[in-house]
Amino acid sequence: MKNVKVAGVGLTKFGELWDKTLFDLATDAAMEAINDSGLTINQIEATFVGNMIYGRLSGQDHLGAAIATQAGIKGAGFRVEGACASGGLAVHLAVQSLLSGTYKNVLVVGVEKMTDASISEVTSALMGAGSDAERKAGLTFPGLYALMAKAHMQKYGTTRKHLASVSVKNHYHASLNSKAQFPFEITEEKVLNSPCICSPLSLFDTSPITDGAAALVLTSDTGKPGVYITGSAVATDTVDLASRKSLTEIAGSKEASQKALKQAGIEVKDIKVAEVHDCFTIAEIMAMEDLGFCGEGEGGKYVHSGTTKLGGKLPVNTSGGLKACGHPVGATGVKQIVEITEQLRKTSGKRQVDGANVGLTQNVGGTGGTVVVHILQT
Amino acid sequence: MNSPVTIWRAHKNLHNYLNKVGKLVVWTKIFVAPGGFEHQVPYLVGIVQFNDERLPLQIVDCEEEDLKTDQKVITVIRKIGKAKSEDVIEYGIKVKPL
Repeated sequence: MKNVKVAGVGLTKFGELWDKTLFDLATDAAMEAINDSGLTINQIEATFVGNMIYGRLSGQDHLGAAIATQAGIKGAGFRVEGACASGGLAVHLAVQSLLSGTYKNVLVVGVEKMTDASISEVTSALMGAGSDAERKAGLTFPGLYALMAKAHMQKYGTTRKHLASVSVKNHYHASLNSKAQFPFEITEEKVLNSPCICSPLSLFDTSPITDGAAALVLTSDTGKPGVYITGSAVATDTVDLASRKSLTEIAGSKEASQKALKQAGIEVKDIKVAEVHDCFTIAEIMAMEDLGFCGEGEGGKYVHSGTTKLGGKLPVNTSGGLKACGHPVGATGVKQIVEITEQLRKTSGKRQVDGANVGLTQNVGGTGGTVVVHILQT
Repeated sequence: MNSPVTIWRAHKNLHNYLNKVGKLVVWTKIFVAPGGFEHQVPYLVGIVQFNDERLPLQIVDCEEEDLKTDQKVITVIRKIGKAKSEDVIEYGIKVKPL
């Protein structure tokens, strides 16, 4: 299926961007994507905005219309929310709108402005993606993923060094990415000795609070060669982690990836590069297993072996991932597709993966209540 | 913090969850808390397996070093978060080692 083409991409710097508003970030990314596409603003028929918590932090909702008009775009405007998978979900709906024939050219903007609020306010807002029982227990998302990490350690013998290897690798990749929030390397010792956030996860096992925006122009005009979205699938599960059958997997990742691979007509062994949702180091380890890159319980050793580092057999999170490139929650799912598009266009510079012609993105909302998987091909 | 009517409605059902014995599946110690829980840090939260369901609950009256997988715990009533001086105090279910 080569019916949806990525015509243009745009990405702001990720980080603590105190001199920029949410609308500045969204407009910057949108204009870059539109210019990259070669289309004019008047040719954009709809805008899909991925955003999770801006309404709660600022009081400003109605972002579909607000961001589209700020950027000077007419036509339909939608705000899409699916926790930290809001960006991926916005891309999925944009793809469906093109496949249905409703629109021919659409803009997707993922954006979040998180650093204007206190850590406590942001932590509480993010817990909107959890369940009422989890909020009453005083749980946080680091806490929920810490429970998954502990269960994985108990069941499979995964170690803190395995977890740390995710962080070390993704910081190395981010050191090659000028848009990353933390473009520098760190050592295993630094990760292991950083302050505990929620046992067994420490500060450098967690993704940061980030401002940033990413944008795509998608088109059903597939005349010229380019990068295509050939698979786009969403799966859902219980929002409450404790209600799940297993604490050591995200079932939605398995379901969504199998659907997306089937749509694309490829197998997991065909994937050459991937961007996955490493909101915490354990999340990338589980993603390796759930997406089928390695066996059940082998994710820790798989990442620790270097297979997923640049130069390895399957480079994962060449952008630096959520851990080191940053995690502006509504933008992350869109940024993942920007990164894979640039890999497939062979424009990733020092981060370029040799022979990259098929890529995968996995964007997770909450602890797996929503999972979005996309397949991109040249 | 929940509204008074939400708290009142939840309080009416608390007795259904009292004195239930379960097993601790997994737990964590939280050092960075969401709003309303900052005064409690560090605190313990676990997933507890009861006969008919699995719930996330705070663990009280113990230290992390005292906990073991499959340890028996029992539900108790405790304050949830911190209420301001004019707010309704919210109570809820937590567990302590048996």
